[in-house]
Amino acid sequence: MNGSDMKLLRTLLVDDNQAFLALSKHLLAPMPSVEVIGFGYDGFDAVRLAEELHPDLIIMDLVMPGMGGLQATRLIKAQERAPQIVIASYYDDAEHREHAAAAGADGFVGKNAYEAQISQFLAANLNR
Amino acid sequence: MSESRVLIIDGDAERSAAHAAILQFIDYRPVEVASATDIVFSDHRPQDWIAVIVGSEADFDRLKRFVDWLKRDRYHPPLLVLQPYFDRAVEHFGLDESALLPLEAPVKYTQLNELLRRAGLLRMDREAASVRRSGPTGNSAAMRRVRQMIAQVAPFDSTVLVTGESGTGKEVAARAIHDQSARREHPFVAVNCGAIPSELLESELFGHEKGAFTGAITARKGRFEMADGGTLFLDEIGDMALSMQVKILRVLQERTFERVGGTRSQRCDVRIIAATHRNLEEAIIKGSFREDLYYRLNVFPIEMPPLRERLEDLPLLMDDLTKAMERNGHGQARLLPDAIHALRAYHWPGNVRELSNLFERLAVLHPGREVGAAELPRQYRGALAAAPVAPVVMPMPISRDEPRGGANPAAELGALQASRVASLSELPPEGMNLKDHIEAIEMTLIRQALEKSDGVVAHAAKLLNTRRTTLVEKLRKYGLSRDLGDEDVAAEAESERVSRLRNN
Repeated sequence: MNGSDMKLLRTLLVDDNQAFLALSKHLLAPMPSVEVIGFGYDGFDAVRLAEELHPDLIIMDLVMPGMGGLQATRLIKAQERAPQIVIASYYDDAEHREHAAAAGADGFVGKNAYEAQISQFLAANLNR
Repeated sequence: MSESRVLIIDGDAERSAAHAAILQFIDYRPVEVASATDIVFSDHRPQDWIAVIVGSEADFDRLKRFVDWLKRDRYHPPLLVLQPYFDRAVEHFGLDESALLPLEAPVKYTQLNELLRRAGLLRMDREAASVRRSGPTGNSAAMRRVRQMIAQVAPFDSTVLVTGESGTGKEVAARAIHDQSARREHPFVAVNCGAIPSELLESELFGHEKGAFTGAITARKGRFEMADGGTLFLDEIGDMALSMQVKILRVLQERTFERVGGTRSQRCDVRIIAATHRNLEEAIIKGSFREDLYYRLNVFPIEMPPLRERLEDLPLLMDDLTKAMERNGHGQARLLPDAIHALRAYHWPGNVRELSNLFERLAVLHPGREVGAAELPRQYRGALAAAPVAPVVMPMPISRDEPRGGANPAAELGALQASRVASLSELPPEGMNLKDHIEAIEMTLIRQALEKSDGVVAHAAKLLNTRRTTLVEKLRKYGLSRDLGDEDVAAEAESERVSRLRNN
């Protein structure tokens, strides 16, 4: 696949921890298929920005104050042309992955292996 | 990487600081107070914290009042109570054991991390339970058939395969089978085979022995053991790797399994219900699903109908969802008639889950307000949103369940929709949903034919040059049978049957 065939994923990052947002942006920056178009700090931001920016992909923290990642996922999935949503969590185990899937998330990445797992997700989903 | 806030109530400042340091180390955000008196209830909500660590408290009554305030929120965080105070907490706080966890002093990182992981899961389990549907809802023929099949198979231990599109309620059906079976007092354990990476799934299903692999620091039960005596629901089994399918087949045949890293065979007394949204027969042809496993699972198949084929159930489902939202403190989503009509014309690719998500969205974004069609997300407005052209009002029938006299938003919307549908002959620049559009045209013409024939289906069918039974089916499909009254549609169907018998 050459560069012109590659779909650019307009990506929204949502996390209540600004340091993680900065780290995430830094890790995604070298990936030619990803363009970070915005940041949100809780689930409410995620719902609002998903409507305003129409991202292709949202990478979102699981537990945030106010509205968490699972509820935000359910609400975003009820909007038109819902983006793909990847839940990122410090706890990477079967139960957390199942909760994310039940809420309608398209993927799950452990924050401890963030770079490897998000790359894996992107490689598997770029042409969907 | 802070996940969330943890409240520490401890009169021992040194110990409190030590706990805060551990929490920061494991990426939580500690909030320290010396006493529950420092917490002003009106400034907080119980869900502001993922967990509350309780050390010592000089004013125990105040602490109890704080716990009572927490308990008013059904999703309140659990209390992690230091061991010397734990027994007193059990005695006085009236919390169940999932919400009151003992913390051993001195607190270790691994213990606290595991307790907080459990606290987070507890909150997610409660939230998931609050959005989970109570039972297959609906009075359509398709849902009556599903309920009948559930009742038929529940008393036996047969393996059941539930199929259907995503969001049709396969887990709801599985839970209903369990609840109506003799195993109802034993656990119902669900596992989503599609959500767990294949390398973890074996350990998750069968458990593991200590040291079985890196990270297996203790022995752990798998879901087969957890479900002992009850039901194991294997969701999305069509996504399971072939290597795991062999292992499941063996359990189904021999009713035994071994933990990962173990040598002892364990008997299991578990009823299996499997589900998938995939076409397993196609998967067999492609070689991604084992034929022998398919026949083992497909002993009693139940197919969940998509929502678009039972739109007459929408009012009941909406009513159920509204009550569930209210009961669970999620707020309320009250729809105006024009919004209800717009939803009836939608094709619901995400089925009941999509409807539930939409209701949660409306309750959160429009709390306590009545929601009209214009406030629905764009795709639910159908042809109305797809064709931004000038409206030309056309006469439309007034449905029987809408108020007569004065403004009738549903009829107005119908007229608007009719005019827009009628005038859309060019593809809009942003594209459109062809299926929605064609259905909207069909629905509009059917409404007009019914209006012209004073609601007599046979006459309307003649105007549309279609069979009466075909029209009756379409009325059901679009939820218009309620406008006529279900008894009228049933009478039409009966009249058709009698006329066919006479002709024979």
